[in-house]
Amino acid sequence: MVKINVLQHAPSAHLPQRPGDPTPTSRNLDPLMHPFARARERTRALNAAKMERMFAKPFIAALEGHVDAVEAMARKPDTLDIVASGSWDGGLIVHDVSRRTKVFQHDQAHKGKVSDVCFGQEGRLLSCGVDRNIKLWNTESSFDDDESGAGPSQRKPVSIFPGKSAFNSIDHHRYDPLFATGSNLVQVWDETKSAAVSNLTLPTSTETVTAVRFNLSEASVLASIGSDRSFTLYDIRTGKAERRIIMQMRSNALSWSPTFPTSVLLASEDHNLYTFDIRSLNTPTQIYKGHVAAVMSCDWSPTGLEFVSGGWDRTVRIWKEGHGSAPEVYHTKRMQRVMSTVYTGDARFVLSGSDDGNVRIWKAHASDKLGIITARERAAIEYRETLKSRWKADSEVNKISRVRHLPKPVYKAAQLKRTMLEAQRVKEERRRKHTRAGEDKPKAQRKKVVIAEQS
Amino acid sequence: MEVEGELEKTWRVGQDEIVQAAGQQAAQGRQEWKLDGGPYRTRYTRNGRHLAVVGKKGHVATFDWQAGTLHTELQLGETCRDITFLQDHSHFAVAQKKYVFIYDRDGVELHKLKSHIEPTRLEFLPYHWLLASVGNAGYLKYQDTSTGQLVVEHRTKLGACHTMCQNPHNAVIHLGHQNGTVTLWTPNLPHPAVRLLAHLGPVASVSVDPSTGGRYMATAGQDGTVKVWDCRNWKGAVRTWNARGGGAILDWSQKGALGVATGGSVNVYTKPSIQTPFAPVVPPPLYITHPVPHRPLTSLRFCPFQDILTIGHSAGVSNILVPGSGEPNFDSSEADPFENKKARREREVKNLLDKIQPDAIALDPDFIGSLAPTPKLSTAVDGAHNIPYSRLPRHERLRVAGKADETEEVDDDARGVEDENGDGQRKRPLTKADKEKKKMRGKNKTLKRYLRKQRKNVIDPRAVAVRTKLEKQREERRKAQAIASGAEQPHKPSALDRFKRPS
Repeated sequence: MVKINVLQHAPSAHLPQRPGDPTPTSRNLDPLMHPFARARERTRALNAAKMERMFAKPFIAALEGHVDAVEAMARKPDTLDIVASGSWDGGLIVHDVSRRTKVFQHDQAHKGKVSDVCFGQEGRLLSCGVDRNIKLWNTESSFDDDESGAGPSQRKPVSIFPGKSAFNSIDHHRYDPLFATGSNLVQVWDETKSAAVSNLTLPTSTETVTAVRFNLSEASVLASIGSDRSFTLYDIRTGKAERRIIMQMRSNALSWSPTFPTSVLLASEDHNLYTFDIRSLNTPTQIYKGHVAAVMSCDWSPTGLEFVSGGWDRTVRIWKEGHGSAPEVYHTKRMQRVMSTVYTGDARFVLSGSDDGNVRIWKAHASDKLGIITARERAAIEYRETLKSRWKADSEVNKISRVRHLPKPVYKAAQLKRTMLEAQRVKEERRRKHTRAGEDKPKAQRKKVVIAEQS
Repeated sequence: MEVEGELEKTWRVGQDEIVQAAGQQAAQGRQEWKLDGGPYRTRYTRNGRHLAVVGKKGHVATFDWQAGTLHTELQLGETCRDITFLQDHSHFAVAQKKYVFIYDRDGVELHKLKSHIEPTRLEFLPYHWLLASVGNAGYLKYQDTSTGQLVVEHRTKLGACHTMCQNPHNAVIHLGHQNGTVTLWTPNLPHPAVRLLAHLGPVASVSVDPSTGGRYMATAGQDGTVKVWDCRNWKGAVRTWNARGGGAILDWSQKGALGVATGGSVNVYTKPSIQTPFAPVVPPPLYITHPVPHRPLTSLRFCPFQDILTIGHSAGVSNILVPGSGEPNFDSSEADPFENKKARREREVKNLLDKIQPDAIALDPDFIGSLAPTPKLSTAVDGAHNIPYSRLPRHERLRVAGKADETEEVDDDARGVEDENGDGQRKRPLTKADKEKKKMRGKNKTLKRYLRKQRKNVIDPRAVAVRTKLEKQREERRKAQAIASGAEQPHKPSALDRFKRPS
């Protein structure tokens, strides 16, 4: 007896039960049923990389209001999008970034430039300027209870702290009503007292301090950078400088990591950024190379995984922590040297203040979609991300996601810089080859950054 | 189909019996379409739902054979040699007397591909969106149907070609020629990737087995032989037999049943026997046979996802049931016989987005995404590098640091020298003269070759055993030499030898 089985499909099993039902699908995971799976996946990865670049439109808006270069910016702690900015003409503005409105504005907060701003507690704003004054403003008092009856641009500060020399930097203590300033001295002030509480400067130092910042978790630790290429750590409880290093070039800006308390980021004049672990200050943990001119400002993302830097080369760059090259580059035709950068509290946007007097809002990830994303869209985005990371070793995919179009001056400068470094390298190599210097191992770049360490 | 006893044979079971035993739906697959218009050729879509038939005299029809709806029927009035669906049933291409024409589902002529002159056979590569044609002039042409560009044309230099098939797993085109060669083509090579003298006399038909990932190819010659080849090495056919009645037409089903149409009958053979090496020239055990009284039989197609074999012949088209030939489980994301209009449109767009570039076609489809071999070239001059360690490429840095994995590429000569010196004094590589001098002539060469073949990454106990044996022999020879030269004393037997451990 012959057993005969002939294949037959039941159409009812493959058609929707009722009108409106989804059509049932069937799967066969046999690889023979899916020929060219790898090649097709690569095509998809290539498309994903291309789509990312196509949707990369990072610029959102420019916030106007300043007449001169925006020198300083600070985000209000515990808010997402309240940012204060001060400019060279003495103007001071507090922006509500999401509404793109001004919460507070003063056209003549200081005579001369506002060199730094920071937020205190309960909406108080501190600004310092080259007119040797620190002013404390109340941004939350609305327009109606302004007792002087003056307009918003004539509002009076709550208090004024006179100093002896022009101030460069100011930062508020996280919990206490204290703040630190940097001029040619590093001073700690109490909000209720009109003179400085203490002076932390080393007696031997003759530098000008360009930035002071309190550590975010160990709130009494203060760091400063100065014009004599130094980076100094203070403890305001002991009132002394604890550590100090002298670097190859001076730093322009300083930022403490919000999630990793021992990590500090320095924006250096030598076109690089450095992260240091303050437990071992003899070498930086990472060198971030990419700018083609001095880095003027830096700020960590609240996640601590990324940071933004703005440079003299008129670009804003966004770096991944621990990844020292190939940053995201933002530029526009009209943006001049970027003097200040700041992340918003949700880590999705970046603000840059530049010499042309505009505060610009950028997306932190250039190809992010703003607005509501449906679940299917989210799944597609995540799938594309996975594809890109999976095929990132493929040269074509990698090239598409790596290459950035740069303005011609920046491109040329980078080219020139590369040529010069290459020439230096060749020279050094030849020197090592023909002298006794070549007998021991060459000194690593990381080891060259710090010249001296004092404690 | 299974038999119970030795005496029963599956090939004794006729179509009537199978139709009786099959379910109602499956029994509809047994069909006879009587058509006049010369010998017919047929083609299914990838989901097996739609069938296109073309007669030699210009009768073209496409229809959904399951629902029984006719899409279009054309009388072209000129010689038509082949037909193929494009991405799905919405477009099809016909190889006509002078050119290839593309029609849409309703039979409206969309394109005349004037660059394909006197085409004889057509193939569509669905994942690359390429329409390949070969003609009387012997040119293989690839046309990109998504962009309309003629991607490449290859001159085969082997005359008119009437046999073509594609390997569905690597999109390589197999051509059979008049002089008995079978050539394998990819768009990026101007010459065949493989050239194989398969038959004495013209090749009548070629087919590639889809059930094993394109590993086996079957060819039939006009001299009546059918050969099955292993596409991994081309050293002779796996199995050869003579089919009665001259040139056979072959097709391989999704589950690996090989249909052979010769003379006036169609024979189907099944898998394990046709693919196992077997030297005698005898036909493999027959699975099903079916006589067709309308000679010549011109085309043979298995229907995807069905147990149906479609035979095109001079009086029309016949469908027979071949139990167990079709893949029972389809994948909706690839080819779905039951997809609706919306799903079809969706899939068309998806497939277009996933289109693979033509130059990604190669014999090994997995070369994409695999690692490139480490380069053998080195920048070192006489073993010394001119550039500092930090700027060496990674593989050379590993080599300098002694961390490179060189197990795979041990050179035979280098090994030989090391073995002879024994104490690792090898300094320079052998020159050509040295090699000539040290070449062993007829001395245990087969064993060496055997060892070399075993010397891959695998630790084979047999190879290890042979190697130790060789080592032992060498040691004995060395000892004998040393004794002869007086450097060592021969071992004297002693009473204490009984306490010695066997080494």
